[in-house]
Amino acid sequence: MSKENRPKQFTSSMQKKLVVLFFVVLLAFAYLIIRIAGINRDKGEAYKKQVLAQQSYDSTTLPFKRGSIEDKNGTVLAYSEKVYNLIVDAKLMSVDDGAHIEPTLEVLQKAFAELDVAEVRSFVTSNPSSSYKKYLKLLESKRVENYNAMIDQIISENSIRRDELKKEGKTEEANAIADPARNGVWFEEEYRRTYPYNTLACDVIGFVQTGNEGQYGLEEYYNDTLNGTNGRSYGYLNADGTLTRTVKEAEDGYTLITSLDTNIQAIAEKHIREFAEDNRNAYRTGPAADNVGVIIMNPNNGEIYAMAGYPVFNLNNPQNMEGVDLVQYANLLSKDDLMDALGMSKPDSVSDDSLSENNLPILSVSADKAELLELVTNESLSNNGIIKNAVWKNFCISDTFEPGSTMKPFTVAGAIDDASITGNETYVCNGALDIGEHTIHCHNRFGDGPLTVKQGIAKSCNVVLMDVAFAMGKKEWLRYNRNFGFGSLTGIDLAGESSGAANAFTEKMGQTDLAVASFGQGFNVSMIQMAAGFSALINGGDYYAPHIVTRVVNNEGAIVKEYEPKVVKQIVSEEVSDTVREFCNSVVMSDPEECTGWTARPAGYMMGGKTGTAEKLPRSAKNYVISFMGYVPADDPQVLCYVVIDHPNHADQGNATRLATLLSRDIMTEVLPYLNIFPTQQLTEKEKEELTDAQATFYIGSNAVSQNAAMVNVSEDSVPENGTSKDEGADQGADGTGDAEYTPNVIQYDPGTGYPLDPNTGEILDPVTLQPIDENVRSDLEY
Amino acid sequence: MSNPRATVRSKKERRYGIADRSLIFIVLFLIVFGLIMIYSASAYSAVRSGHNSNYYLMSQLRATLIGLGVMLFFSRLDYHILMKFAWTAYFASLILIALVLTPLGMTVNGARRWLNVGLSLQPAEVAKLGMIIFFAAYVCGNLRRVQHLKGIMKTIGFAAVPALMVYAITDNLSSAIIIFAIIYIMLFVASPNSAPYIIFAGALVGIASLVVYVVASNIVPAEVSYRLGRIEAWLNPEAYASGRGFQTLQALYSIGSGGVLGKGLGQSTQKLGFVPEAQNDMIFSIICEELGMFGALAVILLFVMLIYHLLIIATNAPDLFGSLLVTGVMTHFALQVLLNIAVVTNALPNTGITLPFISYGGSSSVFLLAEIGMALSVSRSLKVS
Repeated sequence: MSKENRPKQFTSSMQKKLVVLFFVVLLAFAYLIIRIAGINRDKGEAYKKQVLAQQSYDSTTLPFKRGSIEDKNGTVLAYSEKVYNLIVDAKLMSVDDGAHIEPTLEVLQKAFAELDVAEVRSFVTSNPSSSYKKYLKLLESKRVENYNAMIDQIISENSIRRDELKKEGKTEEANAIADPARNGVWFEEEYRRTYPYNTLACDVIGFVQTGNEGQYGLEEYYNDTLNGTNGRSYGYLNADGTLTRTVKEAEDGYTLITSLDTNIQAIAEKHIREFAEDNRNAYRTGPAADNVGVIIMNPNNGEIYAMAGYPVFNLNNPQNMEGVDLVQYANLLSKDDLMDALGMSKPDSVSDDSLSENNLPILSVSADKAELLELVTNESLSNNGIIKNAVWKNFCISDTFEPGSTMKPFTVAGAIDDASITGNETYVCNGALDIGEHTIHCHNRFGDGPLTVKQGIAKSCNVVLMDVAFAMGKKEWLRYNRNFGFGSLTGIDLAGESSGAANAFTEKMGQTDLAVASFGQGFNVSMIQMAAGFSALINGGDYYAPHIVTRVVNNEGAIVKEYEPKVVKQIVSEEVSDTVREFCNSVVMSDPEECTGWTARPAGYMMGGKTGTAEKLPRSAKNYVISFMGYVPADDPQVLCYVVIDHPNHADQGNATRLATLLSRDIMTEVLPYLNIFPTQQLTEKEKEELTDAQATFYIGSNAVSQNAAMVNVSEDSVPENGTSKDEGADQGADGTGDAEYTPNVIQYDPGTGYPLDPNTGEILDPVTLQPIDENVRSDLEY
Repeated sequence: MSNPRATVRSKKERRYGIADRSLIFIVLFLIVFGLIMIYSASAYSAVRSGHNSNYYLMSQLRATLIGLGVMLFFSRLDYHILMKFAWTAYFASLILIALVLTPLGMTVNGARRWLNVGLSLQPAEVAKLGMIIFFAAYVCGNLRRVQHLKGIMKTIGFAAVPALMVYAITDNLSSAIIIFAIIYIMLFVASPNSAPYIIFAGALVGIASLVVYVVASNIVPAEVSYRLGRIEAWLNPEAYASGRGFQTLQALYSIGSGGVLGKGLGQSTQKLGFVPEAQNDMIFSIICEELGMFGALAVILLFVMLIYHLLIIATNAPDLFGSLLVTGVMTHFALQVLLNIAVVTNALPNTGITLPFISYGGSSSVFLLAEIGMALSVSRSLKVS
């Protein structure tokens, strides 16, 4: 570049400076780019969330409605009800220099007496920019409507008064009237889970406390099915530039239709409750038993009608343990937990003194625990989490126990099916059998002499069963045991099932193990495993997976999923099943001297079954689990009832099997007519008398009645006033009372025939059509 | 790129040469992109304040059309003529700034920075153009004087007057800083010795750091002045999330939530009332949110290309006046873009600086386009290199 002729040139040094400056600018840009990338990398996620969080004022969540749970007749057992939270928007309430605050608070006070208005006032005045403060929760829609109506009324009254004052020329006074701020208070929607029958089927249904998160039972197992998807309401600008709201509706959850029958469930729970009350403090101070479980199911398809336990709790307030028997669970607690529960202060450590003095610290600790167990009361345990879990869990599926003699038919069925025995053998019982070093006794220590296999079942003879098991060998016994589903999950659709696998026999079992296993000792099963396995035993050999939910429907009632009864496998042949059923029938239907289960028979019915009396561990404690598995009708089982009483409150538990058979009988006597299974046998005078007394307290399956009534199109008048229809059930809940006790309807039965009576005329009705029965036909019914 | 390659030219073209077409393209691209972003960023707030959704867009479009006319005018004008109007430009700038004090002055958003002359006009923007013309001419005429310290001080004195006036009268520190910095860098480039400039600049940075230190360590309470408060908010925007740090923090949320490719054009949620002045000083944060880091990089690259073209024109201009003129324009653009992005990313304390051609602002657009016009005029007389 030349410098000479033109003095005013941009020199090369100037150029260099400019280029240097350009590079400085480039460096600065590079720094800024790195900075932008850095913000995205370090804070990107946090800022994305922050941006979404800021939007919440413009977009609100529309909660989905969790699906209901219904029984087989459409009675609603659990549903979600819309409730409202009162939200104060201080920002909108404080507009116009707070002129609207007092009028708004006045209405709030009137509409919601429980609201601390002074607190709202101080909050609004000290936080005028707050847009969201929750004050009251779970308000029912009526109260919200009432509040809105009050606001509307006051605003319209104010406007009339203002007009009047303006006409009179009192403009200032007119302007001084301030309206309540309609937008200063709004109501957030929420759903509250409600269980209209409180304690009914509490263990099966499970509950929801917060956040649509099911706990226990169906609520937990089907949590995802019951839950829907939240919707959202967004504010946005449309093409004309006006702020519009668009709503993405919430998708409601699916409803579960179950095989449960509210009436059968209620019958079972009523009798368990009566049992619990009758036997409280019967021998020892305390509840009637540690646990009571009843499963009533259809043995021909695995559907569960009822599953009941004791104690029960209120699903609407599961944390409240008031009136629930808890002391029998105290043993689950450690010594420290017990001391906590009793409000005792823990010793800082086992002091050296106590060690040196008695030198038996372990014994003294266990002695202490026994003392503590004497001290605990229901009240002292009512806040303990472990105890609550014990109450909430479902005994019928979550607890395992040694089944005892109810296992005997399984052993015999396996032995006949694999041809180890024919079933016609005769064994001699001398009251005990020596196996190695052990002598295993029979229930009758004197021995019953020669017994057929059938008699062995009927009399529940251990020696016969041990002989049968030895004929089978442990390999075959194990194979059948596993085939019947013991030691593995049945797959029932309830949360918290236990398999008992930890306490099942394996190939390592010895001869003594096989001996005791033959009559149901030495290994654990769950009630549902027993009921499902026994169903296969008596229904022709088909094992159905036990199931509760039969259909899943959406909120419009369309079927989303249907669970057909599923035969998992055939375990024994139909002939074997027939034989075993015949054996089991003899348990109930033989001469009382010749069988163990005759007390289980509901008057007038042919029934089969098997009793069980299992010694609990430790054997020295002489505690028992007594049980009865029964089915009706004996020749073609339509309903199976399994009753288990764990540690009955009885002086001689080993001979208390009667408690289980009687409980079974009481339940079945009431359930059978409801299921339209009617007596086939003539009743004795004594039985008629007893039945008449019992029928005075019967619940009647109103649904069956009303449905049948609808089918034959009976006029309104002749329908017995006992309909708890689906709609009524729902209405009860919708009232929001949530306190409805299950109110059964009482219907009279003719003691002679067991047929229902018309409540108005006293006429005998056909159980199917509910039409008065023709005199001619009626005469045929008399035995 | 700027070489007139065509062998056959009209008489006129032979006389004036061909303007830098790449520069025109970059500028037009930035203008169109800016209009799109202004619409995206402002539609919501326009409606919220009771206007049509395209209120800001139309207003900017009008200014842009005027600006393009002005650009065309300056690009066809032989830039040497401007030399004769150097003093006029200087005093006209000063007078316009002073006029803000008269009833012609207009207050917008609580700041009295505008003149109401049919249209609203920001004298600080005029002053930037005026000072570039004046000092290019002044240095040309006093080249020897600006080589001595005394002369330099006197020249800086000339520069300080409009800068101080802008600060004192319109209370607009950022424009004052930009005016002073443009002149300072023009002098630095023109002067043969660099040391005093670097020392003086270093001293300024030192003073600024000291002020920041004083605020950061709470020696002087930030309540003394709102500018000190801004420094405090700059150092820790989260602590002032609902107050002075709000705008900065919301801009950072926008940038951070954009990610690599952004939420998509028009999909910003931060513009819905969260980022104040979303169509104005903070528009770059909306670009980051909607177009992501990719979009931000593209915009920065466009500005780098723009500045590079100005650099080429400045270094190849046929005479000192042309070079200095374009140096001033280049400095102006570089400073304005850097400071704007630095503020949006919280690299510097919050101060109102617009992003050239993209931020909403009529005066700014018109005068920036005038500067581009001057640069184009210079580019037409480039030596063949």
